[in-house]
Amino acid sequence: MYSVETRSLSKTFGAVKAVNDISFAVESGEIFGFLGPNGAGKSTTIMILTTLLKPTSGQALVSGFDVVTHAKQVRQSIGYVQQESTVDEYLSGRENLLLQARLNHIPKDQINKRIDEILELIELTDKQNDSVVTYSGGMRKRLDIAGGLLHHPKVLFLDEPTVGLDIQTRRKIWEYIKKIHKEFEMTIFLTTHYMEEADQLCDRIGIIDHGQIQIIDTPENMKNAMGNEVISLKFESKNPDDFLTHLHKIEYIKKINKDNDKLTIFTSNGTQVIPEIFKISSLLEIKIISISLTQPTLDDVFISYTGREMRDDDVGFNRKREHAKMKRLRA
Amino acid sequence: MNSLMYDTYTVFWRELKRYKKSRSGVLIRLIQPAIWIIVIGNTFSGTQPLIQSVGFDGEYIEFMAPGVIVLTAIFTSIFGGVNTLWDRRYGFMNKALTSPISRSSIALGKMSAISLISAMQSSLIIGIALAIGVSFPNLFMIAPIMAIVILFSLGFSGISVIVAATAKSQETFWGVINFLGMPLFMLSPALFPLELLPDWLATIAKFNPVTYTVLLVREMMTGVSEGGISAFLSIGVIAVFVLVMIGLASYVFTREVNKPF
Repeated sequence: MYSVETRSLSKTFGAVKAVNDISFAVESGEIFGFLGPNGAGKSTTIMILTTLLKPTSGQALVSGFDVVTHAKQVRQSIGYVQQESTVDEYLSGRENLLLQARLNHIPKDQINKRIDEILELIELTDKQNDSVVTYSGGMRKRLDIAGGLLHHPKVLFLDEPTVGLDIQTRRKIWEYIKKIHKEFEMTIFLTTHYMEEADQLCDRIGIIDHGQIQIIDTPENMKNAMGNEVISLKFESKNPDDFLTHLHKIEYIKKINKDNDKLTIFTSNGTQVIPEIFKISSLLEIKIISISLTQPTLDDVFISYTGREMRDDDVGFNRKREHAKMKRLRA
Repeated sequence: MNSLMYDTYTVFWRELKRYKKSRSGVLIRLIQPAIWIIVIGNTFSGTQPLIQSVGFDGEYIEFMAPGVIVLTAIFTSIFGGVNTLWDRRYGFMNKALTSPISRSSIALGKMSAISLISAMQSSLIIGIALAIGVSFPNLFMIAPIMAIVILFSLGFSGISVIVAATAKSQETFWGVINFLGMPLFMLSPALFPLELLPDWLATIAKFNPVTYTVLLVREMMTGVSEGGISAFLSIGVIAVFVLVMIGLASYVFTREVNKPF
């Protein structure tokens, strides 16, 4: 039995196909990363899996239960840590966990023991009686994650667990996620914008764009499939197509992405390819402005499957969201 | 059933915790009813002969004090559901919706917390009334009055929860609530005896649960019943109102939170 399974899952809002016929399966005990640019269908999928939305067609099973017909059983088997902090600021850390324990029907005689355990794990024992208002962003996130874990769910959904946190805090959260995964051995279904995060944490990654799964594989395989090296190149030419045709003839080159005057070349033997590139460029009288050779990152994989960079998108999205939030606060 | 009670209590507990820790609002919310009782109570003191003509022998302020107690209950409870909108915006709602508790228990937990808070606010108004010299023939009546206020507020908070669950924005919520709150208060004998209202207004008032609550609380405070409406009828009307609101609020809330926000 899979931990999470979708069969031809679709969700439409009016004319928009947010999720378009996706099928995938997540093994029990796996950390599965779900990546995609904004508007790709990530959030819709996670909302269907956590029973917050009903699919338009197709089926989704979580822990073996259908999310529509057995919503209650699904809710009993999942923990859901949302992107934004959902802890009650006026309550103390411990009170927040107590609320979470009661919402998830943890037997009364076990509540205190569980809370003590989890506070220990996320290293908030000392601060447990302080009001959450005094907590830092990282501490709140830890408390959020702790709340999702308290009832020992079979599947833990983490929606962008480190968005908006500084890099040190982000690394710390990764450590906690690894720690809890080792301790409780549950399946973790994680969405993220950060390639590094997916690379660090996930056993397998699914990339979604335009409501469809583009690829599912391990981070390693994905990177290897791209060739083991990446050449980034900036050039000036009146006739770039000619340049590209010639480049494609070089033996070791597996794939070329072109973005205006920039090329990203996936190759397996970079040190030998670079002289070849220069040979072609001098032949065609193309001016190379800069060139570099790096290891492929998941970013490169991502761009090759979605054709757009996540972070560019992200900025616009966050700004829009911030704007909306300010508007609400003023209202 | 057992689990519905437990879940309702969980939500109730959370709402009260939040209320307790944000005390600043308590006094601010008392200012308006205090102004009502002091300013309106004295402004219309000249209407004493009018209210005496329908059987009251005290001053106008004693006649209208029960009205202001109910006013406090109306506004505390009808505003009380607004945090439903915050909960939906800031994720608590999704947290509750993805846990095994039933949707109704979220609505009922909120309603019971609101009605208790409403009763606490109203009891402070009783304190103010006593302080400015409103005579209370029987102080033992305070407990049953509180019981009526809790019951009435439970029903009224249902309106608030329904509007909050249906509205997608603060603006809509406040628009609808202001549209409902003041007329419901005005179309009742809170400030003026039912017998002295024009017929058409009196008829409308008889369909308003506020009317029965005001009459009942006033009868408990002053010992005078009005308009031939007995205490039993009032209790019956309030009870039916509360039951209908509990059912309606649970139904509408469940339906609305299942839609994407």
